[in-house]
Amino acid sequence: MSFWTSIVHVLLRVGAMAAKEAAHIRRDPQTLAMALVMPVGLLLLFGYGVTFDLEHLPIVMVDQDHTAVSRGVVRNFAASRELIVSSELESVAAGESLMRNCQAVAIVVIPEHFSRKLARGEKAEMQLIVDGADASTATQTINKADAITNSAVPIPAATPVAGVARLIVDTWTLYNPAGRSALLVVPGLIALILAMVCVLLTALTVAREWERGSMEQLFTTPIRRGELILGKLLPYIALGCMAVLLVLAVGAWVFEVPIRGSLPALATASLLFLIGMLAQGLFVSVATKNQMVATEIGTMTSLLPIQLLAGFVFPVANMPKPLQVIAQIMPATHFIASLRGILLRGNGFAEQWPHMLALLAFAFVMVLVSSAKFRRRLD
Amino acid sequence: MADSVIEVEKLRRTYGSFVAVEDVSFEVSRGEIFGYLGANGAGKSTTIRMLCGLLKPSGGRARVAGCEVGGNTVRLRSRIGYMSQKFSLYLDLSVAANIEFFGGAYGLYGKTLQRRRDEILERMGLQEHRKTTTADLPGGTRQRLALGTALLHEPEIVFLDEPTAGVDPASRRVFWTIIRQLAGEGTTVFVTTHYMDEAEYCARIGLMVQGRLVALDSPRGLKSAWVPGRVISVHTQDLEGIRRTLSDRPGIFAIEPFGSTVHVRFDSDVWQLPALETLLATDGRNSLIVEPADVSLEDVFLAAVASGGTKTQHEGSPTSSDTNGAGT
Repeated sequence: MSFWTSIVHVLLRVGAMAAKEAAHIRRDPQTLAMALVMPVGLLLLFGYGVTFDLEHLPIVMVDQDHTAVSRGVVRNFAASRELIVSSELESVAAGESLMRNCQAVAIVVIPEHFSRKLARGEKAEMQLIVDGADASTATQTINKADAITNSAVPIPAATPVAGVARLIVDTWTLYNPAGRSALLVVPGLIALILAMVCVLLTALTVAREWERGSMEQLFTTPIRRGELILGKLLPYIALGCMAVLLVLAVGAWVFEVPIRGSLPALATASLLFLIGMLAQGLFVSVATKNQMVATEIGTMTSLLPIQLLAGFVFPVANMPKPLQVIAQIMPATHFIASLRGILLRGNGFAEQWPHMLALLAFAFVMVLVSSAKFRRRLD
Repeated sequence: MADSVIEVEKLRRTYGSFVAVEDVSFEVSRGEIFGYLGANGAGKSTTIRMLCGLLKPSGGRARVAGCEVGGNTVRLRSRIGYMSQKFSLYLDLSVAANIEFFGGAYGLYGKTLQRRRDEILERMGLQEHRKTTTADLPGGTRQRLALGTALLHEPEIVFLDEPTAGVDPASRRVFWTIIRQLAGEGTTVFVTTHYMDEAEYCARIGLMVQGRLVALDSPRGLKSAWVPGRVISVHTQDLEGIRRTLSDRPGIFAIEPFGSTVHVRFDSDVWQLPALETLLATDGRNSLIVEPADVSLEDVFLAAVASGGTKTQHEGSPTSSDTNGAGT
């Protein structure tokens, strides 16, 4: 048989396998729903509902200065979307009792002589007392208060600027100035979707063949292992790509998630991640040969760690050391990091190559391990 | 055998210390229906799976359709068809879709694939079910579909592992008609079964007991080797009476109940039928109906299992003496 006819035969067998798998998907609307509807649903849920942005945090203003400048500061706080001035009091003690009853998360104190010091170019200080019981709310409140103060406090024209440390904090949020969750969620969600489609669906579909005994039937046909896997996965790869495009599109239209960086880099990172996840799914299914166990292990080894460890919700840098090590091994961590870089920071290969190298390494090892396992499990 | 398509020599498969198939040797010639008979767990499926390249032999060698088992599996696979014990086509796909997929897996495409699909549908009597979802087919029809997909690529040999298990008698009959047609066309059929009536259709039968091939012969040869003598059927319920009359006499091999009658097996060199009849008519049993009966393969099977496969009387085939040597 010449080289070209054998290539044609390989393609024929892969094509037959892919067509069969596509027929399975057509006959089972649940798979389609799982791959296409669920990701968009998740995106909308995270984008609208489960937002990590806190809004309308009640704060108490204690204005002891009573000047035009201090009134201006209060007005600025009142105008913000994130914080609402629930009451204006004269004393800090009264504010504290509100805070104890959870009616306020913070107290902003503008001391006496605030505007006078400001006008003289002296160090003018405001006080922010924050309820530290809820750390994440506290952090966000501090950030918002800082941002508002920076824009609110006017710089009098006559102020001598030199040598004066007038502003204590100077924060400037790049790439996501509004701190919108959608921008943070979309990269994580893409990783989640790819992991779900690849690990879970692959594990399920391959495990199903073992479970039904059709894998043995396939092994008596001239289809080779590689052709079997490739043909089986092609429809799911297509499904995964569709899901990613769908999420990017919905993210762009509904939540204005940008794609600022290099498209080839985006495609490369996605493909590397995809291959690693497919191999992981294959490994799970060969190891379990049972749909139910495959689902459980697939979830445990892909979806849960991605949600918890990969920096989707919780920053990797904040984790304890052992968890950080695990996170560094997980391809999703690197994939989410490079997606954030590419989508939000406008990065390309130049900045993201270390992450892509990590993805490549994982994919390589996983393909080796799973194909070795697949071969051995025959006997 | 001049034209043997399966040659097995001391084939062996172990799982740890358990020996599933122990040094089995036999040959099957082209166009033969070769039956493999044995209890569950006797090593029938293990043998088939080794011959199909699904399982690595632990020892020995086998040549199937000119290919060494364990060698070029792709070439081997394109020459054999396999129908496993468990129905393993895709229940969620239509009949035609299953056929088309497996056709593609065997490298058929385009017009050839369409022609073979239609031929198989017709031969298996599945035209009306063409678009039916496989899950909706009754058991017998499913088995015909499974056989049909195993024949798509016109293999030299088909391996059928308990193809009629759990199938109604009418469908089994149809199935065996197809099997005999296939053999008539020159396709070798290697079939395992535990239905004794089906085994009668086979040209030769290999009898597996606990991983060993204890006998290999035509049904007739097996019967004369394992269950020698002639059998008469005595229409009476009085088993004990007949035992009293006959059991101590020479040349009487067995007296066993069989349905509502009693089967008496005797050495035809010692006894003539009239003499036996006369003897049986004594002891107050007048007007007994006595008629000749057949030895069934079931008797052979039970005799083989009871002896644990350690029997010497059969010399019907070259391989059976091999297997015996160790036993006796």
